[in-house]
Amino acid sequence: MRAMGGRWRRESVFYLFALPFAALTIVFGLWPIALSIQVSFTGSATALRAVPSYVGWANYATVLADPLFLASLWRTLLYAGLSVLANLGFALGFALLLNTAFIGRMRGAYKLAVFLPVVTPDVAGYVVWRWLYDQSFGAVNAALKLLGLPAFGGLAAPATAMLAVLLAELWHHAGFYMVIFLANLAVVDRALEEAADIDGARAWQKLWFVVLPQLRPAIVINLVYALIQFLKTFTVVITMTKGGPNGATNFLSYYAYQFFDEARYGEATAMATVLFAIVLLIAGTVYALGERGRT
Amino acid sequence: MRLFLRRQALAIGAALLLGGGAASAQQLTVWHDLGDNGSKWFGAMADAFAKTHPGVTVRPTNYPTDQWFGRSIAALNTDTAPDLIFNNYERVIRVAAQTGKVMDLKPVLASVADKGFLGEDDLRVATYDGRMIILPVQRVQMGMGVRKSWLDRVGEKFPETWEDAKRVAVKFSTQHPDGDPNGTTFGFGLEAAKPRDLIHMLDLFVFGAGLKHTLIDPVGNIVIDEPKHALVLEEFLKTYTSYKVVAPDTINYSFNEMYQVIEGGKAGIFRVGDWNVGKWDTQAIKGDFLVGAWPRFFPELQNGVVIGGMRGVAVPENAPNKALAIEFAKFMLTQEAQQLSLSIMGAAVRKDLDVSALSPRQQFFAKPAGALYAYDFPESVILYYPELEAAFHRKLLDAIAKPPADWKAFIAQLAGEMRELSKQMAAKKG
Repeated sequence: MRAMGGRWRRESVFYLFALPFAALTIVFGLWPIALSIQVSFTGSATALRAVPSYVGWANYATVLADPLFLASLWRTLLYAGLSVLANLGFALGFALLLNTAFIGRMRGAYKLAVFLPVVTPDVAGYVVWRWLYDQSFGAVNAALKLLGLPAFGGLAAPATAMLAVLLAELWHHAGFYMVIFLANLAVVDRALEEAADIDGARAWQKLWFVVLPQLRPAIVINLVYALIQFLKTFTVVITMTKGGPNGATNFLSYYAYQFFDEARYGEATAMATVLFAIVLLIAGTVYALGERGRT
Repeated sequence: MRLFLRRQALAIGAALLLGGGAASAQQLTVWHDLGDNGSKWFGAMADAFAKTHPGVTVRPTNYPTDQWFGRSIAALNTDTAPDLIFNNYERVIRVAAQTGKVMDLKPVLASVADKGFLGEDDLRVATYDGRMIILPVQRVQMGMGVRKSWLDRVGEKFPETWEDAKRVAVKFSTQHPDGDPNGTTFGFGLEAAKPRDLIHMLDLFVFGAGLKHTLIDPVGNIVIDEPKHALVLEEFLKTYTSYKVVAPDTINYSFNEMYQVIEGGKAGIFRVGDWNVGKWDTQAIKGDFLVGAWPRFFPELQNGVVIGGMRGVAVPENAPNKALAIEFAKFMLTQEAQQLSLSIMGAAVRKDLDVSALSPRQQFFAKPAGALYAYDFPESVILYYPELEAAFHRKLLDAIAKPPADWKAFIAQLAGEMRELSKQMAAKKG
């Protein structure tokens, strides 16, 4: 009985300290999400009134019957998939390179070069990228011309706009994923690599069978974070393309934003809720798979 | 003690009196998207209004257009409306349609004695769904602007016909009219990104040429493949593509990017609205431009300046100071307020105003000498027009991104598709 009392006291202290953060999470994290989901079941005209009129699943039916929404959803999934591959591939490759003796004393400078864009204000960075891609005075095409290569359509051509946006985001985000990989590489067991060397393993075998399995925590965290990031891509779109040209970069977050802009809150929050569910489902599945593999 | 009590009573009495005085002071709030100039105009009108309404002040709040929509709609729907909202007719339509809380101003206008200057067209572009949603305050006029120094450098005059305009535009794009041999310049500064951006530009070409409708007539007939319309549309699309007279990134340009190209000295021919002239006379272009009508496409049709609509004041049903707001709205039609509108904003609806202090470019709009063609505002009669226009915009952007080999065939096919879509939408909307 006395032992239980002591435990309760210890736990109550823990809960007392956790309470402010739990309250903040509920007020600023969960409550807005719940409110947004609630608005998705109301008519837009009454959504913000004290007593809104509820329309059931009508907003979801409207949204899911909208071919532009479905096209935007597909485009978002494609973009997120490609961006995750590109960012994690680049970040992992660069982290492995930085982890070798080959780089030498320039390691710090390279790390800084890749990480600096992460701390650069994103809008400022994307405005510069827009200028780089400009078809009349942009540096990208000037460089290609100098090399005798064909011009890059950049943001002006529907066929290349998604790639142009992806490259700009790669520049901005890859450094963050690289730092996570580097942190994990710092605690990799070198003895296992030495053992593999003694066993005559080739470089790719060491990478595949020894290093990468030890990088699983970083891969899972980066994968989940990158999926969430790129499924919700927004700033780059509003800064560089406004969803264009002709919808080529009209990803789900921006498409929903356009509805918000027109005060069509019901449909906009229905779209946001669908996106939220997709993000939760995909990120949760990836995380669960990663955790299961670890055990 | 008695003296103390008397003093206390006096102090309380004075405070009550002052409090009573303060209660009679009222502040009207007005939301607009006219920038700092607009706030300056409302400030000047407030001073004039206060002469007959002592203690009344006006607090104008300027929002970027996109935010103005969202905020106005949300505020009217949540009973947190301002006293007045000011914007273009078609924008107030959207607020009225999504809230149902914009007051019918017909009885208000009926009570105004001095209103003979408002014509039938002015009243038509103030009425939506049988209700007068704005009191018309400023006609929105748009013509064509051309950089004067550039014309001089390439040895041309202000283009009168479309053929002239094309020739000048090509010279502007190829002959470095800004004097920088390494610089890049363009014939036209246009926009295309959002549906309203591109169709608004097409409206200028169509109405400026003297035609009456851009996509659909009030009965619901698609007009884009009628011979004259088809020709203008083809030239319009070629301007964005094969003529190579616009910035290659124009497909992603909205208002901001278009203005950057114009004001940044990259484009030689551009749209000039009456609201642009005041700023461009002194800043950015610094008066280095000529203003005229949009160029003539057809010898038998008079070209002209386009009346792109009407800016007006609306009163929300749930305005906190509704009676006073109505008084202020009526005041905006008086000669004094209209003169301020013309002097500060470069636009008004009255014709009995003094224009002598205006620059020649402002006078071009204030005292129009040529033909004036008004938009038809299909959204006021065709309920599904915004959706139809959005689909039309997508098709046009497709064509601009991947120009077809045969524009005539493209327009004919597009007309067929628009007819089919229009039929479907009409059936759906009942």
